[in-house]
Amino acid sequence: MHGLWLVFKHEIAKIFKDKNLIFGFFVLPVLSLLITVGISMIRPTTTEAEEYCLYFYGINMERINIGELNEKQIYVVSVEEEPSVFMQSGKFHNYDVLVDFSDLHEINIYYHEEDTISSYLKSTADSFVREIYSELYRGRHPEIEFRKVVAEDLNEKEDDNRLIAMLLPYMLILPLSANISNFSADTIAGEKQRGTFFQALLSPVPPLALIMGKIWSVSLISLFSSGIYIGLDVLGSRICEANGWQDLFGFSGIHVSTAEFLLILLYAVLLCYLFSNLGVLISLFCKNANQAQIAQLPVTLACTVSAMMAMFRFGTSPKFHYLIPVYNICIVFQDVLHAKVRLENMAMVAVSLLVLSVVLVIITLISYRSERVTE
Amino acid sequence: MITIEHLKKTFKKNKVEAVKDVSLEVNDGEIFALLGPNGAGKTTTMRMLSTLLVPTAGRITYDGKDINEDMLSVRRRIAFLTNEIRLDGQFSPDELADYYGRLYEMTEEQIRKNKQELFDYFGITEFSKRRYETFSTGMKQKTSLAICLLHDPDTIIFDEPTNGLDILTQRLIEQYILKLKAAGKCIILSTHILDLVSRLADRVGVIVDGKSVYCGSVSELASSQGVSTIDEAFVKLYEENHEEQAIITKK
Repeated sequence: MHGLWLVFKHEIAKIFKDKNLIFGFFVLPVLSLLITVGISMIRPTTTEAEEYCLYFYGINMERINIGELNEKQIYVVSVEEEPSVFMQSGKFHNYDVLVDFSDLHEINIYYHEEDTISSYLKSTADSFVREIYSELYRGRHPEIEFRKVVAEDLNEKEDDNRLIAMLLPYMLILPLSANISNFSADTIAGEKQRGTFFQALLSPVPPLALIMGKIWSVSLISLFSSGIYIGLDVLGSRICEANGWQDLFGFSGIHVSTAEFLLILLYAVLLCYLFSNLGVLISLFCKNANQAQIAQLPVTLACTVSAMMAMFRFGTSPKFHYLIPVYNICIVFQDVLHAKVRLENMAMVAVSLLVLSVVLVIITLISYRSERVTE
Repeated sequence: MITIEHLKKTFKKNKVEAVKDVSLEVNDGEIFALLGPNGAGKTTTMRMLSTLLVPTAGRITYDGKDINEDMLSVRRRIAFLTNEIRLDGQFSPDELADYYGRLYEMTEEQIRKNKQELFDYFGITEFSKRRYETFSTGMKQKTSLAICLLHDPDTIIFDEPTNGLDILTQRLIEQYILKLKAAGKCIILSTHILDLVSRLADRVGVIVDGKSVYCGSVSELASSQGVSTIDEAFVKLYEENHEEQAIITKK
């Protein structure tokens, strides 16, 4: 369609040439990241290890040094507290390992998969357990049967995902709705305010091309900007908690496969497109950017409430919930992260959002020639 | 040729009847001045002429065709310049010309040629890489004019083209209007400066209270009202046709 690509490129270029927008949407998140990391660095650190320990429960032995890692000594130490009690105490750190030797049929090694030191110590503990068994029991106590060593990761994967599933809709919808509100308010109402919309109205570009060019540019730039905010937010929290550079990359603690990530991205794009349609429609009827932003407040509020309602949703939702705009996206995000995703629900949400977007585009096109827009 | 027949426009929002009955004819190769007091309906008429507003009743034809039947092709042949028009401040005149030229489906060669001619005429060339937002009012107006005329329209509608401009820029624009006329373009000019009308216009249309009360040559305007200047003719037409003023005069 003539003009669509031109309008789209012009709108994107306009945003990238506006110093205030560049600062607010791209520089500010980076600055906030630097501030967050800076604050975390001046915070007194309590996790600096002096030594690493393999704690043993159920066997008495002297504290012995079994080697060195990262210029720190590794000790084997026996403990008297029950594993559950000891793990809650301040003595047991994330990088340590606890071996429950009380039941020889099944020896448990508790460690933190997320922590590279703890993972390494787990392997050492496993070898050490087998060595102890050979030395102490093999051939001497035939009645004792050594069966297996079970390594138990103390990172609660399900809980991590549950937390992320709770927060993700909120984390996505808040910056998305705020960004779209700003960009769409600026795109038409802002142009009216500056007197630049008039020239666009007079151009021989079909209204559909002009409207779609604006909607797509708002969608893309809002998604990009929200992605930066969310990405830097996640990176900031990782930097604050990471023990090493290798912890910064990958999604340790967040168990999202590539397919799940792509599904979330696809629905985020759909959501962004829907919001942009609505934002541009509202902007069309407003005389200036401030008025448009105020008019969009109820939409932003409704979206935030939907995301909050989804945060406290437990179990499965009835079918009709997948037809409630915005809320349906939130529950789809949660379904993806909880591995409860069902194809018919996903399809229902995608179709309902696309239908709603098309309806909004039609209303926008009809409104485009209304007197309130052109007078 | 543009023909306006019994044009009427009532705004739905506030039920204001901005244009009640306007009938005019504008020929190719002439400068047609549209006169009227504030609130007479000149701007609404010009907005309908440029396809921005749809008439409530009546008809506007452009070379015999209703302009609302094929708006996009009419827009390719028309330019509308008001002093309200602003361009995106982040861009340079060069970038703006390229963008609008492409929107009007001009070839790169046409854009380059027309841009060079207009920029040279209005003295924009040396500032063509600078951001529009950094320009003075006069420079902005000249750039807006150059961008509006880039697609070489057949009809140009000017709404108060010299408002707020210094005398040099005013003269430059006036000379360009005459140049457009010489090139056979149809020019519709709305202004309150009657001196400008007498210097530039061939014919004039007077609108009072949303109704066209005169359409004829500038030279005949004064004589048709039995006065010696167009200022007096305009005042006389206003007093005779303005509803409240007519009642006072009768009393």
